[in-house]
Amino acid sequence: MTTVKDLPREDYFLSGHTACPGCGGAMVVREVMKVLGPNTVVYMPASCLLIFSDMYPYNAFKVPSLQILFETSAIAAAGVKRALKRLGKDDTTVVAFAGDGGTADIGMQALSGAAERNEDILYVCYDNEAYMNTGIQRSGTTPFGAWTTTTPLGSTSEGQGKNEFKKDVPRILMAHDVPYVATASLGFPADFLKKVDKAKAKKGFRYLHVLAPCPVGWRAESDSTVDLAKLAVETGIFTLLEYEDGVLTLNREPRFTPVREYLKLQGRFKHLSEGQIASIERWVKDKWERDRALAKALGPKPKVPVAIVR
Amino acid sequence: MAAQALAVAASHDGYSAIAFPFFGAERRGAPVLAFTRFGEERLRVRTQVYEPHFVVVLDESLVETVDVLAGLRPGGMVIVNTTRAPDRLVLSKKAKSATVDATTIALKHTKQAAVNTAMLGAFAKATGLITLEGVEAGIMEVFGRRLSKEIADRNVAAARAAYEATRLGEGDSGRVYAKATKWLPTAQELPPGLATPPMETPFGRVGVGSSPSNLTGGWRVNKPVLDGAECTNCLLCWFYCPDGSITRGEKIVEIHYEYCKGCGICAAVCAPKAIHMEREIEEEVKA
Ligand SMILES: Cc1ncc(C[n+]2csc(CCOP(=O)(O)OP(=O)(O)O)c2C)c(N)n1
Ligand code: SF4
Ligand code: SF4
Ligand SMILES: [Mg+2]
Repeated sequence: MTTVKDLPREDYFLSGHTACPGCGGAMVVREVMKVLGPNTVVYMPASCLLIFSDMYPYNAFKVPSLQILFETSAIAAAGVKRALKRLGKDDTTVVAFAGDGGTADIGMQALSGAAERNEDILYVCYDNEAYMNTGIQRSGTTPFGAWTTTTPLGSTSEGQGKNEFKKDVPRILMAHDVPYVATASLGFPADFLKKVDKAKAKKGFRYLHVLAPCPVGWRAESDSTVDLAKLAVETGIFTLLEYEDGVLTLNREPRFTPVREYLKLQGRFKHLSEGQIASIERWVKDKWERDRALAKALGPKPKVPVAIVR
Repeated sequence: MAAQALAVAASHDGYSAIAFPFFGAERRGAPVLAFTRFGEERLRVRTQVYEPHFVVVLDESLVETVDVLAGLRPGGMVIVNTTRAPDRLVLSKKAKSATVDATTIALKHTKQAAVNTAMLGAFAKATGLITLEGVEAGIMEVFGRRLSKEIADRNVAAARAAYEATRLGEGDSGRVYAKATKWLPTAQELPPGLATPPMETPFGRVGVGSSPSNLTGGWRVNKPVLDGAECTNCLLCWFYCPDGSITRGEKIVEIHYEYCKGCGICAAVCAPKAIHMEREIEEEVKA
């Protein structure tokens, strides 16, 4: 089991990339790459990551990386994996790192298809909760109440922002019954590394959803990234969970720190009305109860014999 | 946004004006370009500005790597954010210069190192073409509408303070710039394939794993400083640094500055507070 202390000194996502100071996405990729190591091929769709890691003629990955189209992450990675397998290199990990826009919205059909076919890839969504690279537009995972350039404030100074709640992408992947689905937060390194380890070791389709605070788009201080990632979990806004062979485990019961502690660090929530904050509090409670009920309901999958005709 | 605020300021003062950013990917802290053009007649040219009358430099460290006078018209002026007096600037040739310590001013008034609005105040003072009222109108329009009145007010205060603090003079010649430092192979020069393979060129390593050729330390405003006696070697700073700027040793960690962007995360995650952030000033020359 990898802990912070046993991580290698060696980086496979290198310095000199051009992510903004304090970028959560850059942290996620650097840590995941430390665990995956040199025998890895990386796919990236259009995103902040692509722009900050691959500035022709420079490239920040120490392993092969490629990009095709925004909407193709899961299927492109799957194609690479199949080709490697044919070449006798089945031991190579193929990972796709995609943003939330590239995952929850535009990459969804390729993702769903690859998950349903149980393609042998690791898909990591670094969720910064908006389309950051193009200047902060709302995505399916943008939280309720958040300001983005496409969820503006009302004409009065209070209230508004996004009217819908965050799309639960891990639950969509669970519905595909893939071997491994997990969420992680930079605020909990041991849990995060344990999940990357597991995801690396398994075969078949593996999905990791990592909250990646973005100081620029969240209108927060560049040194608050880790605090935000912790608070998101401790307030109950972001749930740490794991779905493995049909069993759903909630990895941490939040402390239910008041959501205001999380919201107040971020300019994107500055305008929230009392009513909106109350809605978020309510949503957090409901979500936890529902996740718990779901974890209880989902026991181990019964073994169904499958007749294979070839 | 500041280029836009300047255009609004100019139009407030009766000019016709246009502003636009350089098209490309922007990252907070990375070097960017923006253009404003204004004049008494209707503007028909909509290209980027290649031969400016004025160049406003928001980050002094750029002067070391980029010839900011390239394209400047004869008699034109460069306005730089620096603690130096204008006469202490070393440029590629002698040129009219104005300087102001906009970083200190911005930190004081806006609590952030975003110096663009302060530099608008410096522009008004240095050129005399735009009034301070115009600048205020520009900031209110552009920042007040997109952000909040409170933020706009703080930026106006920064612009006023910079207006007062701007000094005029003449920058000196003597700086020599290396010819283009970036090598961009053409499609024909590259072997077939999707990625640029790792290659050594006269301008450093390019291709896979080459980003260390790109030093990002110049983005920094504040720098982390380690007090070795307090470090417990918990390695959290090493784990979290997004720029891989910290290495682990046997007993304590070590901070390196070539790539450190000064985000402050290492200091924030350090439980024994062995790391603190310090304002980095290259040379203190107060008037
Ligand atoms: C088909 C297509 N549509 C739109 C774009 C423009 N585009 C490039 S990056 C990006 C935003 C990506 O957002 P996300 O996936 O959340 O990643 P982030 O930039 O936030 O890290 C968009 C819209 C594109 N490159 N291709
Ligand atoms: S905009 Fe946000 S996600 Fe994109 S590079 Fe900057 S900090 Fe990272
Ligand atoms: S301030 Fe600290 S965490 Fe941030 S880039 Fe520099 S060394 Fe890394
Ligand atoms: Mg995103």
